[in-house]
Amino acid sequence: MTGFSHWLTAVKGITWRQSSSFFKNPALVLPSLLFPMLFFAAFAGGLSDLNRIPGFDYEPGYTTFQYVFVLFQSSMFGGIFIGFAVARDFENGFARRLMIATPRRSAIICGYGLAALVRSAFTIVFVTIVALVAGINVLGSPGQIVLLFLLALTSNILGSLWALGIAFRFQTLSVTPLMQIPFFILLFLAPVYVPIQLLRGWIRHVADVNPVTFLLEGGRALMAGTTGPIVTAWLVILIGGIVLGIWSLTGLRAAEKR
Amino acid sequence: MSAIEVRGLVREFKKGPRAVDGIDLTVAEGEIYGFLGPNGAGKSTAVLMLTTLLPPTSGTATVAGFDIVKQGPQVRASIGAALQEAALDRFLTGREHIKLQGSLHGMKGADLKQRGNDLLERVGLTDAADRKVGGYSGGMKRRLDLALALLHSPRVLFLDEPTTGLDPQSRSALWDEVARLSREDGVTVFLTTQYLEEADALANRVGIIDHGTIVVEGTPDELKAEVGRSSVEIEPHDAARLADLERALTPFGEPMVTRGTSASIRLNEGVGDVTAIVRALDAQGIVVHQLRLREPTLDDVFLEKTGRSLEGSGDNDEDETPSA
Ligand SMILES: Nc1ncnc2c1ncn2[C@@H]1O[C@H](COP(=O)(O)OP(=O)(O)OP(=O)(O)O)[C@@H](O)[C@H]1O
Ligand SMILES: [Mg+2]
Repeated sequence: MTGFSHWLTAVKGITWRQSSSFFKNPALVLPSLLFPMLFFAAFAGGLSDLNRIPGFDYEPGYTTFQYVFVLFQSSMFGGIFIGFAVARDFENGFARRLMIATPRRSAIICGYGLAALVRSAFTIVFVTIVALVAGINVLGSPGQIVLLFLLALTSNILGSLWALGIAFRFQTLSVTPLMQIPFFILLFLAPVYVPIQLLRGWIRHVADVNPVTFLLEGGRALMAGTTGPIVTAWLVILIGGIVLGIWSLTGLRAAEKR
Repeated sequence: MSAIEVRGLVREFKKGPRAVDGIDLTVAEGEIYGFLGPNGAGKSTAVLMLTTLLPPTSGTATVAGFDIVKQGPQVRASIGAALQEAALDRFLTGREHIKLQGSLHGMKGADLKQRGNDLLERVGLTDAADRKVGGYSGGMKRRLDLALALLHSPRVLFLDEPTTGLDPQSRSALWDEVARLSREDGVTVFLTTQYLEEADALANRVGIIDHGTIVVEGTPDELKAEVGRSSVEIEPHDAARLADLERALTPFGEPMVTRGTSASIRLNEGVGDVTAIVRALDAQGIVVHQLRLREPTLDDVFLEKTGRSLEGSGDNDEDETPSA
C-alpha cells in the first residue's frame, strides 16, 4: 500500500468513527440542530419588521438576510464542536490510540476536519429546509447558490482548524470556551442584524475590517444575485485556512511533545 | 538486529521528577522482556517514549530498527501497543473498533474483516463483538485492546501492565496468548508489570526499574541465582525453645525477621544444608513442628537491590512527588 493511499484510509477511518459516534448520539445531534433553529426563529421572526426600516435594502427580505447569517454561524460552530470531541478524546486517552496507530499524523487533522464538514453539511441541509419552509427568497443563480454553500462549508474548516489547534494544545474539555469565544466575538462584531451601512460608530469601524463581515456580505450577495465582496470572502477563507492550518498543525506538533 | 535498543534514555517532566533517568536496554527479536517495578517507577513513561507518544528529554532508542525520534512513522507502522488505560470509545462496538484501528493502519476490505474476526475469536469476544464497548467488563476491554494492538501483525508489541485488574483466569489466558505470540509468531514483547509472578512466568529476561533507573537485569533464574540463597523457616514444636532454635541455626546462615513463633535464616550455601540443619536440631533435642524452604523470588532480588520490598512499595510510601 502506498503512503498516500494508507493516509487516505486513515483519514476515512477517523471521519467515519467521528461521524458515526455523532449520529448515534442524540445528545449531540439535537443541540446542533436546535441551536441554529433558535437563532433563526428569534431573529427572523422577532425582528422581521426591520424589513420596513429606511435603509434596509436587501431585496430578498429580512428572513433571507438572517438565513445567511445562521448558515455561516452553524457551519463555523459545527467546526468548533469538533474541537470538543478532540479534547474529550485527549481526556479519555482515545487520542493516544490515533497517535500511536497512524503513521502520518496529519491524517488525524484531516479526519477530524472532514467529520466536522459532514456534520455541518447535515446541519446546513436541515437549516435550509426549515428556511425554505419559513419562506426565504432565493434570487441568486444556481451557480451562485452552489458558491454560497461552498463558502459556508469551507468556513466550517476555519472553525475546525481553530478549535483543533486549541484542543491539541490544552487537551482538556475545560478550554472549550476558548474555542468558542473568539468566534462568538467575531460573529457579533459583524453585520448580523442589519446591513453594514446601517451600523454606526465603533462597531462600524470594527465591522469594516472584520473578516466575518466579508463572509456574510459575500454570502448575502450570492443569495440575492447581486454584487458584493465575494472575492474578498474567498480570500478570507484562503488566508484564514492557511493561518489556522498552521495553527492546528503546530498544535499537533505540540501535542506530540507533551 | 535487536528489536529494541535503548541508550541513556531520559524523560524529565516539567514540574515533575526525572521519571526515566537514563536507562539502557536491549531486547532481542522474539524475546519477551519484562519491565518490573513498583508504582511510579517510570514504566509507563518508558513505554510512551518507545511508542513515540512522548519525546525523550535525552538519549536514543530504536524500535524495530527505527529511531523513535527521527523515524516515528516507521516505528508506529511496526509496533502494536496496549497501554495502561485501554483507550476505547464507549459508543463504538468491538467490531467498529477493529474497523477504525484497521483503517489507521491502512487496512481495509475482506482482509481486515477476516483478520478482525480471527482476533476477536482468539480473545474470546466473538459474541460480544457487536455490543457497545460501554457495556464491556474491564477484562473484555483489555482483551479488545490486545486484539486491536495485534491487528496489523506488528513485529514488536508493547503491553503496559496488561493484567492489572484481571481475574486469575483471564490473567493466565493472557499469559498463554503472549507466550504463544512470542513462540509461534516470533513477536517481540515488551511488557511492564508490578507482578513478580508475571515477570517470572512470562519473561525471558527481566529488567527491574526503580525511580527511573534499571537496578538489575537478567533472566529470572540469573537474577534469583544472583541473590542466590534460599531461606528456611522453622517452627519448633515447643515454643519455649525458640531461642535455642535461633541459636542452633546461626551456623547455617543469617537470621531473618519473622513472626514470633518461628525462626528464619537465609541459607549460607545451597539447599543441601537442610539435612544438616535437621540433624543439628535433632542433636539438641529440638523437635521440628514445621519446616518451610523458600526459593528466592524476584521480590528478594528487588529487596536486595533497593532495600525495599516490591509489594506495597512505590509512589505512596516514598518520598517522591505524588502522581496526579
Ligand atoms: N505527565 C506527567 N507530568 C508529570 N509527572 C509525570 C507525568 N507522567 C508521569 N509522571 C511522574 O513520573 C513518574 C513515573 O510515572 P510512570 O507513570 O512512568 O510510572 P509507572 O512505573 O508506570 O507507575 P504505575 O505502576 O503506577 O503505572 C511518577 O512519579 C509520575 O508521577
Ligand atoms: Mg504505569
